[in-house]
Formats: sequence, C-alpha cells, structure tokens
Amino acid sequence: MQSTKMTLRSWWSCTAMLLLCAGLVAMPPAQAATNTDKDAAIADMQRKLDESLLAIKALSERVRELEAKQTSAAAAAPAATAANAATTAAPAQRLEATEQRVTQLEKADASRKSADSGLPLHGFADVGAGTHNPINSALKGFYVGNLDFYMAPRLGDRTRALFELNTEVGSNGTVGIDLERAQIGYQFSDETTLWLGRFHTPYGYINTALHHGSWVNNSLRRPRFLQFEDNGGIMPAHTVGLWASGTQHAGEGKLLYDVYGGNSQQIVGGGLDMRNAGSPQFNLAAGGRIAYQFNSGKLEGLTLGLHALTARIEADRPVSITRLRVYGGYADYDTDQWENIAEIYVFSNADLGGSSGSHRSNAGFVQFGYRLPWGVPYARFERAVLEQSDSYFAALDGGGSYSRAALGLRFDVDLRSALKLELANTRATDRARDQYGEGLVQYAIRF
Amino acid sequence: MNPMDTLASAWYPDCARWPAALVCAALILAVSAHASDTSQIRLEQLPQQWQDDQGQALSLGALGGHCVILSMSWSQCHHSCPTTLTRLRRMQEALDQRNEPASFVIIGYDPDQDTPANWRQYRANRGLERANWYFLTGSRQNVRQLARQLGFEFWIYDTHVLHDPRIVVFNSEGSLSATLTDASGDWLASK
Repeated sequence: MQSTKMTLRSWWSCTAMLLLCAGLVAMPPAQAATNTDKDAAIADMQRKLDESLLAIKALSERVRELEAKQTSAAAAAPAATAANAATTAAPAQRLEATEQRVTQLEKADASRKSADSGLPLHGFADVGAGTHNPINSALKGFYVGNLDFYMAPRLGDRTRALFELNTEVGSNGTVGIDLERAQIGYQFSDETTLWLGRFHTPYGYINTALHHGSWVNNSLRRPRFLQFEDNGGIMPAHTVGLWASGTQHAGEGKLLYDVYGGNSQQIVGGGLDMRNAGSPQFNLAAGGRIAYQFNSGKLEGLTLGLHALTARIEADRPVSITRLRVYGGYADYDTDQWENIAEIYVFSNADLGGSSGSHRSNAGFVQFGYRLPWGVPYARFERAVLEQSDSYFAALDGGGSYSRAALGLRFDVDLRSALKLELANTRATDRARDQYGEGLVQYAIRF
Repeated sequence: MNPMDTLASAWYPDCARWPAALVCAALILAVSAHASDTSQIRLEQLPQQWQDDQGQALSLGALGGHCVILSMSWSQCHHSCPTTLTRLRRMQEALDQRNEPASFVIIGYDPDQDTPANWRQYRANRGLERANWYFLTGSRQNVRQLARQLGFEFWIYDTHVLHDPRIVVFNSEGSLSATLTDASGDWLASK
C-alpha cells in the first residue's frame, strides 16, 4: 500500500510537472520568447502588447464603472451628469489612445511576420489502388503516388521564387526525389514576369494549370501522352531556361502570353530528360503560347489558345537527332458548374541524323467535368496517333499510339482531401495491339 | 496476494490514465492558447487600406455602425468560394427580411488575380451589385495581416489559391461576434 501511495504521489508530482510544462507552453509565445536573445525584440513588442491589453481591460472596467455611476447620478441629479461625463471623457480618451497604440503594435508585429522569408510547408500527397497501376499498366494492386512539397518564398515586391520537390515511386518500387520546378523570377510589371530556371513548359492548358499536386486535378491522372517525362509522357513537360509570362486586359477579357527558350531536351533510356545541367553543345528549345480568356457574357470562363514549340532532340536508343516541331491549340471552359478541357497537338518532326525525312503525328483529348457540391464527375476521351518511323517516338517508351476512354468521379471527402475513382478502357494501336480495362482509386490530399 | 495489492493493481491503471488524460487536456488547451485568438478583434484593428472594385480607397472602419459580414475569396475559385457566396447571399436575404442593415465585405486573397477590374467583372457576372457589398483588393502585406488576424488560412500554389471557407461577423459596435466555418450552424438562427 505504501508503494502504491508512493506511486500515486509520484504520479501526481509528475502530473503537476507536466501540467506546469503545459502551462508554460500555453503561455503567450512572447513570454517564452523572452528567454532567447534572438527574439528579444519580438518579446518586447509582445510584452508591450500584453501590457496594453491589460491597460485596455482595466480602463474598460473603469469606464463601465463611471458610466454606471453616471447613469445613476443622472437619475438622481441631472446637474451632476456633466461632471460625470467630464470624468468619463478622460479615461475614454486614454482608452482610445491605448487602442491606437495596440493597433500600431499589431501592425508592426504583422509587418515583421510578413517580412519573414520563412517557408511554411505546403504540398500534396496521394496513394491509391487499381486493377492496373495508373502510370505503368504492367503493375497491379496498391501503390504510393506522389508526395509533393511546394515552396514559394516571397523575397520582395518584385522578386519571386518557386520550388516544387516531388518524391515519387518508380516502376521498380524505388523512391526518387525530383526537383520538378526551380524558378526564380522578376515581376517587371503587373503584366509581365520573367522566370529563370526549370519550369513547366507552357503548352496547352493542363501542363501549366494543374502541375504535380493530384488534389488540384479533378481527374485521377493526366492524359497518358501528357504525363510527365518520367511517367512516359511524349511532350517535354519541363524546360530549363528563360520564360516570360504575362497577361493583358483586352476588351472584356484577358490576353495571356508566354514566350520561352531553354535547353533542348534529350531522350535517355526511353524517356525525355530536360538537361538540368546544360549540354556539351547548347541547342535551343523555344516556343510560345497565346490565349484569350473571356471574362463576361455567355463565354465567361472560356479560354482559347494556340501554342508551338521546337527543339533539337538527341536520342540514345536508337541513336538519332530529331527536329521536334509541335503546334496545336486548346480550349478550356472553367466555370462554377463546368470544367471542360480540350487540347490538340500536331507533330511535324524532321529526322536530322538519318534519311527518314519528315513525319506527321497527332494527339489530343477532350474532357468534360461537372461540378457538384460534393465533387466532380468527369468523362474523357484521348487518342494519340504517333508515326512509329519517326525516330522521336521510336526512341520513347511511351511513344506508341493508343486511345483511351475514361469515366471518373472526384468526391470531396472534406476541404483538404478527395477520393477519386476512374474506370478506363485503353487500346494500344500499333506497337503491341492490346486492350485492357482499369478500375482505379486514388486518395489525394493537400496540406 | 494481499487484497489491497489486488485493489491497488486494479486501480493503478485507471490512476495512470487520469494523469495522462489531464496532460492531454492541458496540452490541447496549450495548443488552443497558441492558436490565433480572434475573439477580441475589432473592425478598426484590421488593416484599413483597401481598394474597392471601382478603384476607390475604402477603410473597413468606415463601415461600422451596423453589422459587417466579412469573408475572403479568390476570384478564380470554383471550389469553395461559390458555396461561400451562396451562404452570404442567404445571410443577406435573411437580414433583409429582418430589416437589419449590414455590409458584406469580400477581400481577395491574391492581389495579382483579385484586382479591382476582375472584381468588377466578377460582381457583374454574378449579379452581386448591391451597394452594401464590397469586393476589395489590398496589398499583399495587408491581405496576409488581415488573414492572420481573422484566422483565414491560405497558400498560393502557382496560380491557385488554396483556402478554406470562413465568414466572420462584426456587430454594430465593430467587435467580432461570430466566426462561421463550413461546420458552423445557422448563424442567424442563433443570433
């Protein structure tokens, strides 16, 4: 029993200590901050704020007392009211002055915080399961998708920076980390920003609107031919170079424009590589996009755009050099009810290293989505007809022709997580004539 | 075994749980204490320099004297903002029925996208042109400060503004009197 008492005593002592610790944690941050020299200024400011709040409280009580006295006195002797009012006026003025001081302190504190270049951690993650892996159809079962970290420190009024670090699981199960975007920019005006670094190549709509965060995308995955490079995409989704992007009000809508130049990509091991570190011989990749966004009338929410790009692509397997030329257009109808997207790409590639000449191919998709209070059902059809004698597509693992029809549903579990379901039927039409159905589930979050 | 020991050993686990529960409760309180306390905010303590959708300067303090219902929004949002606007419209209808004057203030999260011109277009497209509705644009610093003071959490992912729905209500004295989130009940019914 003695030991039990001792144990209980020690428990309560321990509890008291923990409560004391918790209490210390619960104290205003400024009081804890006083212990560190680094935050002395902040602590001082907070202390002043706390003092001011206490002063306000005391003065408020005093004013209430005086007002109560004034009311009773007024009932008893109207002549005394004037004197009471005069007495009340002084604390009221002090109260007002103190409030102003508190406001100033709050503003100073807020501006200090906003001037911080500290990086809150935000991003996206997704996991899922399916009769086939959504990226690699040879795999089945459960899968880990992406864990995407996004950082955009604001360094000044005009300087901007944007970094996106993505961890993803490869076909062999290994986890890789990719610096998907690393761009630093200068905003010359409200209309134009110039970026330097690695960015999402501005073509079509999806590549610069939906990025890597699965939660942002209403559909479970991108169209196959527009997947990112390491997921089998056939377009150079990233470019390392210089990018000017801007908008201009025009009529009842906006003109959107992008112009860029950078390293020509290469094909290594069946996938596009964007030459993050440059190349022995610089070959320019260049392109642009222009679009008009309707902001009023029946066409409100509609964006129509054109895009083009060219690059000199060297491939290792088979060894080849291709002048990649892509042009096309897109339409996006994005309203409170609809999210409809269509994109088309025409390839007119030239074989620079051999004698196979020029080749024409095309790819495109159309997607309809309808926004409901709880989610978005969608339907998509996509198709790629890619010339297999074109050394560019021959060198890409994902360069085969195909068509895919998909029906899907995004269900918003809560404000920060979404469950997506997709049923799809894919038909490969040249390399390996194959057809398979898919049932996919994805749980995507933002944080 | 001594019956008291049996009793003690039977009682001990429960005893052990109580301190743990108390510690958890204390920690929850501690975390709550650290969370932004918005309960004592007054309208005039918020940043005051804003531009309305006509490009005119507007001070939030000037809207006092009656109820001010404030929310933050992103003009390109098709996710949660339409629901928030619907909720604001319903509040306006209910206040109209009660014949209670109020100002509705919507502050843009992203000054780059939520410009006065874009808000003007937004209002026209959605039929939100009543004179007591204000769609405001501010500096980045003011937007962040106001969001922090009122507990609006948001971050900008490229051209997307990721945020949660939230409405705050200031009474006619200018004091914050209610905070409505997605999970809140009917504010007017409890008013």
